[in-house]
Amino acid sequence: MQENSTRKLLVSSSPHVGSGLTTEKIMLHVIIALSFTLVAGVVIFGVYSLLTVALCVASCVCGETLFNLIRKRPNTVKDLSAVVTGMILGLNLPPTVPFYVPIVGGFVAIMLVKMLFGGLGRNFANPAATARVFLLLSWGTQMMEYIRPIDYASGALTVKDFFVGFVDNAAYVTSATPLAEVKSAAGTGAVDVDLLDMFLGNIPGTIGEVCAIAIIAAAIYLIAFKIIDWKIPLTYFAGIALFSLIFYKNGWNFILPNLLGGGVLFAGVFMLTDYATSPNTRVGTIIFAVGAALLTILIRRYGGMNEGASFAILLMNLLVPLIDKACKPHPFGYRKPPKAKKGGKEAAV
Amino acid sequence: MKLTFKHGIHPKERKELAADSPIEVMPAGAKVYIPLIQHIGAPAEACVAAGDRVKAGTIVGKAASYVSANVFSSVSGTVSGIVRRTNAAGRKIPHVVIDNDGEYEEETLPPLVDPTKEEIIARCKEAGIVGMGGATFPTHVKLESKTPIKALIINGSECEPYITTDYRLMLERPENVVSGIILLAKALGVDTVLVGIEGNKKDAIDRMIYASDGIEGILIHELKTKYPQGGEKQLIYALTKEKVPNGGLPSDVGYIVLNISTAYAVYEACVLGRPCYARFMTVSGEAIARPANLYVRTGVPFSEVVDRLGVKEEYVKAVSGGPMMGISLSDLTPSVSKGSSALLLLTEREIRAVRPTTCINCARCASVCPMNLMPMMTDALILQDKIKEAKEYYPMSCIECGCCAYVCPAKRPLVQSQRLAKKLIRELKI
Repeated sequence: MQENSTRKLLVSSSPHVGSGLTTEKIMLHVIIALSFTLVAGVVIFGVYSLLTVALCVASCVCGETLFNLIRKRPNTVKDLSAVVTGMILGLNLPPTVPFYVPIVGGFVAIMLVKMLFGGLGRNFANPAATARVFLLLSWGTQMMEYIRPIDYASGALTVKDFFVGFVDNAAYVTSATPLAEVKSAAGTGAVDVDLLDMFLGNIPGTIGEVCAIAIIAAAIYLIAFKIIDWKIPLTYFAGIALFSLIFYKNGWNFILPNLLGGGVLFAGVFMLTDYATSPNTRVGTIIFAVGAALLTILIRRYGGMNEGASFAILLMNLLVPLIDKACKPHPFGYRKPPKAKKGGKEAAV
Repeated sequence: MKLTFKHGIHPKERKELAADSPIEVMPAGAKVYIPLIQHIGAPAEACVAAGDRVKAGTIVGKAASYVSANVFSSVSGTVSGIVRRTNAAGRKIPHVVIDNDGEYEEETLPPLVDPTKEEIIARCKEAGIVGMGGATFPTHVKLESKTPIKALIINGSECEPYITTDYRLMLERPENVVSGIILLAKALGVDTVLVGIEGNKKDAIDRMIYASDGIEGILIHELKTKYPQGGEKQLIYALTKEKVPNGGLPSDVGYIVLNISTAYAVYEACVLGRPCYARFMTVSGEAIARPANLYVRTGVPFSEVVDRLGVKEEYVKAVSGGPMMGISLSDLTPSVSKGSSALLLLTEREIRAVRPTTCINCARCASVCPMNLMPMMTDALILQDKIKEAKEYYPMSCIECGCCAYVCPAKRPLVQSQRLAKKLIRELKI
C-alpha cells in the first residue's frame, strides 16, 4: 500500500485508451500510396521525374522549417504532411519542367497556402492544387509541355536517355495529351484515343497522373487502411461519368477518356480526399465531390483548358466552409424545436 | 443482420484478461471507508456516530431526498468516525469509517414473498439500489416513471473493454439475474422485457436463454459487438429502432433501461433481503498480476483490492470504471462504491498516451460519433471561447462515450472539450 500511494499516476479525462493511428502514420500511408504513382512515373518518363518530385519535397520541407524558424515555433515537419504536399505537387508537374519550377512551387504551396493560414489542417485550399495553378499561370509554356513516354521497345530512347535524358532535351518528343483529342472531338462525338494506353500510362501527361493502374492500386491501399473515405473518389468518378454523358455529344464515348485522361483519377484519390480542404459532414462530402466533377467537366468541355481537375478542386475548396455549414448534422434523435423542448430538461438548457 | 446502432467503434476488447476468472468473494480489511455519495443525486446523511455498533446491512447514511439513495455498512463492527476522504471522482466527501470485527454478521430486510409492484419499488428504495452499471442513478426513481412504459430493456451488452462482471453474472448466476428481471418487470407493470447481449458473449446468451426458458415476455437478443452498444439510446435503437428524442429520456419513448448487475441487486434485495452494500467488480489491466472478477464490499480501499491480486509490472494509469468512460485516479486511496464496475491498472503500452497535436480535420470523430455530432467543431470553438457557436454543434447531446477521442489521430482530448462546453453552457446559461 505504501508503494502504491507514492506512485505517480497519469490523470486525464476519459477515454483512457486510443487507437494506434497518428497523424504521422496517416501521412506515411499516403506517402506509400503516392510512391506507387511515383514509381510508375519514373518508369514511364525517366529519372528526371524523380528529381522533380524530390525537389518539390525538399522545398516543401525547407519551406515549413523556415517558416517555423521565422515564427519561432516548434518544427512541424516530422508530421510528414510537407512531404505529402511536396509529392502531390511534384506528381502534378510535367516530367520536363526546369528545376526552378518545382522549387518555387514547393515554397508557394507550403509558405503561402499552408503555413500562412495556420499550418496543417487550417489551410482552406489544397496547397498542391493551388501551387499547380500558380505555376500554370507563371510558366504556362513549361507547365503545358508534355513528352511522350519512353519507348523501351523501339530502342529510340536508350538506357542513357533514361538516366540523363533531361540533359539533352532532343531525346524527348513533346506531344499533345489525350485530353487535347477529347477536347477537339467534343463537337463530333467520335474520340480517337487508345484506352489501354491510357490505362497503363503510355500517354503524355504529368508524372503522377498518367498511370491509371498505379493510382487505382494506391486508392485500394488507402481505402483498405481506412485513410481515405471511398465515397469521395467514387462519387467524383461517378460524377465525371454522369456529366460526360450530359455535356458531350455521344457521351458514352467520353466517359472513359475523361476518367483516365488528365488528373481526374489522381485528383479524386489524392487531392479531393485532402482532410483539411474537404467537408467534414457526410452530406457535404457528396456535394463537394459532385460539384468538383461538374466543374471539371465544364472546364474541359467549355473552358479554355484541356485539363480542369486542379481548378475544379480549388474552386470547390473555397465552398467547403459554406457546404459544411449548410450540411451541419442534427444529433441522433433530433426533433424539430417545438417538440424537442417538451423532450426533457436538457433540451431547454 | 445483427441488431445495432449507427457509427461507433471497435476498440480492443481485452476481455480475455478476466473473462475466465470465476467470481471470487473478497473479504474486507481491518477498516472500511463507506462513501456517503455513491449515487447521482443528494448525498446521503450520516445516521451513525463514532462508537455505534453496526452489522453488514445496517444503514449508515439515509437518502436525503427523492433522488438519493440509502447507504449501508458492508461489514460488522464499530463506527470509528466520519472522515473526509477523496472518492473515485477526486472529490473530498464524507466517509463512514468502520472497524471491521471480521464476523460479517448480517442485518437483513425481511425477504419479500410474491411482492406487489409497490412493495418492490419500496424495497429498491429502502435497499439503496442504484444503476449498478456505473451510472448510479437511483433505481426507484426510474421505476416510478410518470410516462407509460411499454417494455423493460435489460442492458447486458457490457460494451466497455476489459469489464466482464455482467458476463460472469450471466454465466454463473443466470437464474438469479432472471428473477431480478422478473421483479423489475413487475415493478414497472410491463409484460415485455428485451435483454440485449453483445455477440462476444455467446455462452452468456445461451445461459440466459436457458434460465428464462418458459417465462413469457423475456426476449434475449444478440447484439452486434460494437462500442457504445450499451449506451441507453444506442441500445434502445438497436433493439427497437426507436430514437430517444434529443435531450429526452428513454421513458419518453416508453422504455426503461436497467443493467444486469442492477437486476441482480434487486434479486438480492427482494429475495435475500440484502441491501446494496456489495457489488461485482472486474479488476484488470496488464499491470494486474491476476485479473479477476470480485464480489467486493463497498468501502474497501482500491489499494487493498490491488494488494490482493498483485501488481506484475509498472502501471501509469489507474482507472475506476471502463477505459472508455471511467475516471482516472490520482492514487488508490478511494474506496469501492456502488458504481465501481471495474478497477484497471493500465501500462504505458495499453494507454498509448501521446501529446495532442493540431487537428488535421480528418472528420474521423464525426464519422464514429453515435450521437451524430461534430466533436472537432466543438473542440475548436470552445478553445476560442466561442461558446455560443460551439453550442450550435450540440455538445449537450454528447454522451461522452469517447469514440471521437479514441479514433483521433491527433490525439485531441475531444471528450474533455465537450465536457467543458457543457459546463460553460450551463454555467453561463447560454
